[in-house]
Amino acid sequence: MAIEKIIYTPEGQFVAGQRGYFLKLRAMVSEAIGARELIWRLFLRDFRGRYRQSVLGIAWAVLLPFATVGVFVAMNRSGVLTIGDVGVPYPAYALTGLTYWSLFSTGLTACSSSLINAGSMLTKINFPKSALVFSAGAQGIVEFLIRAALTAGVLAWYGIAPDWRGIALGLLCVIPLCLLMFGLGFIVAIVGGIFRDVVNAINAVLAGLLVLTPILYPVRPDSPVAIMNAFNPINHLINFPRDLILYGASATHSSFWITAFLSALLLVTTWRLFFVAQARVLERV
Amino acid sequence: MAEESLIRVDGVSKKFCKSLKHNMLYGAHDLARNFLGLPRGPAELRESEFWSLDDISFELKRGECLGLIGPNGAGKSTLLKILNGIIAPDRGRVETSRRVGALIEVGAGFHPMLTGRENIFVNSAILGFSKQETTRKFDEIIDFADIGDFIDSPVKHYSSGMHVRLGFAIAAQMQPDVLLIDEILAVGDAGFRSKCYNCIGRLAERSAVVFVSHAMPAVSRLSTRTMVLDHGKTSFHGHPAEAIAHYHRLFDNQMRPTRQGLGSACIHSLQVLDAAGCPVRSIVQGQGLTVRFGVRTDVAITNTCLDLVFVSIADEVVAECNNLVAGKTINLQAGSDIHVYVHIDSFSLNAGIYRISALVLSADMIMHYDWQKDIASIEVRADRVGVAGQQYRARWTLTDSPQETSK
Repeated sequence: MAIEKIIYTPEGQFVAGQRGYFLKLRAMVSEAIGARELIWRLFLRDFRGRYRQSVLGIAWAVLLPFATVGVFVAMNRSGVLTIGDVGVPYPAYALTGLTYWSLFSTGLTACSSSLINAGSMLTKINFPKSALVFSAGAQGIVEFLIRAALTAGVLAWYGIAPDWRGIALGLLCVIPLCLLMFGLGFIVAIVGGIFRDVVNAINAVLAGLLVLTPILYPVRPDSPVAIMNAFNPINHLINFPRDLILYGASATHSSFWITAFLSALLLVTTWRLFFVAQARVLERV
Repeated sequence: MAEESLIRVDGVSKKFCKSLKHNMLYGAHDLARNFLGLPRGPAELRESEFWSLDDISFELKRGECLGLIGPNGAGKSTLLKILNGIIAPDRGRVETSRRVGALIEVGAGFHPMLTGRENIFVNSAILGFSKQETTRKFDEIIDFADIGDFIDSPVKHYSSGMHVRLGFAIAAQMQPDVLLIDEILAVGDAGFRSKCYNCIGRLAERSAVVFVSHAMPAVSRLSTRTMVLDHGKTSFHGHPAEAIAHYHRLFDNQMRPTRQGLGSACIHSLQVLDAAGCPVRSIVQGQGLTVRFGVRTDVAITNTCLDLVFVSIADEVVAECNNLVAGKTINLQAGSDIHVYVHIDSFSLNAGIYRISALVLSADMIMHYDWQKDIASIEVRADRVGVAGQQYRARWTLTDSPQETSK
């Protein structure tokens, strides 16, 4: 039986005898495919670990968006904050937006601390490190699914019955958001592995982004925030699928597709950077 | 054709950086080059860098076992990390079978809130086992770990011993071509340790092993070849007994004699002589040996205590020659200068280097007139390094009758 060999050099690692184009890309993808079981196990570990020894457990995933939306409803009613007509009952609008947002924010937060939390495992065991990032991001995806089910219930309660095509497309269009989350996730994971500042910074940035992006309320088209949001990828990636679900159509096709394409490009770039950098970064964790 | 090597290391070097600031800067620089696929910059050292490993080469086939020894900071663990693919070399190349198993930190990746049972699946996945494999070996793992009902408690309630037991039990299921071990033999209680040894022996038969240890008996027993690393360089590579002696000599060179005590008496010379009376630095285990030393004293000391102490590299006092224990009374007169000969018929300390300290004490061993620390050293040579400090070579007879008939 031939022994499969792997070669480590200053330029990176190679499988002996493997030749051709896109060697790194192929190695990255085959590593991730080979690690799917590990990704699943790591995800289960963190998911179960998080909700164990807590009374409400998984109910937290449901309670938090309600609390946020509750605050905004209260502010709206009391006149502190005036939210214009959004065409559907406000809680439905806000919850749908938050559901998409939670995928991004939960996923990115988990990614930023994924290398740090792995601790000594990183420098002692050789395993596909990208699995840590994928399993962390999966936390965001699962949170999205839990909240989506909840949001569907709320929509039904308000009697909003969107077109099934709108729903299907709206759910499908979450994929670019995942690409962006993983794309940024890889970079924050690897930088966060070295500089602990990243974890705090990510929380601050996410808090600011939630307020500035039209997720919980629409922004007047002539305001400076609206101009800024034209360059805000989250804005496009969340509002397009939300429009599809709530109204069955959206006016922002082209900006969504451009953002989606750029997100995919970002993911390929940062994933590759992660793959190339892991050995160098692990010396410095 | 001879069997091919499972691991081949060619001129591997690794540099590290002492300053954090430079470290980050160089890291970013190297990273950018790697990412763009450019060849790396010049391999010379930049400011505040040093070679943690310098031009290491070796090759191992199935069934061979390389012991890595050396002082702290010699680069042993760094080499293991490179072989394991965790960090990349800065020069040279490593070619290894993909099936590398590392017994380095067992139980890494356990989640404290999850039960042992759940963690078995997590840890197995980290080590690269599929779910089917883990399910198949599940009972074997629980059997090996032998931690009873605790298997269903959260891992955070485990003692450190149980933690290691479970971790090792999982890692023991590997069937690697190349096995890397870092001081693993020091885990758990005596019963578990023997289980670990057996398991490692079983794995080692079918793989090429590289292991790091500070326990010379283990190095002597397990390794087919031994490499001594010192400041990142291969300082010796060859037969284990010679390598261990070489390793000991590294410390011998660092020996600094010091003197304490009142100073009213003085041990002014000390030599180790072989059976023929010639000064020697080393002897073969079990041979006779004489220590000769000169004592000058300014004051009279009645019923003095002259004490020779042999200290191992591990700083353990392993042997002593004391005239009071031997029942020999010695009175020293003021102003005298005498020579003392201490004959030892069979000097049978374990193979290694021993530092000798000599003391002149009062009868109650409280007043230190002179205390010469590390005034000399003696190396004991043997083909094998035993476990215990004292090695009786003894007479061995074999017979099939209950009475010993041969002489």
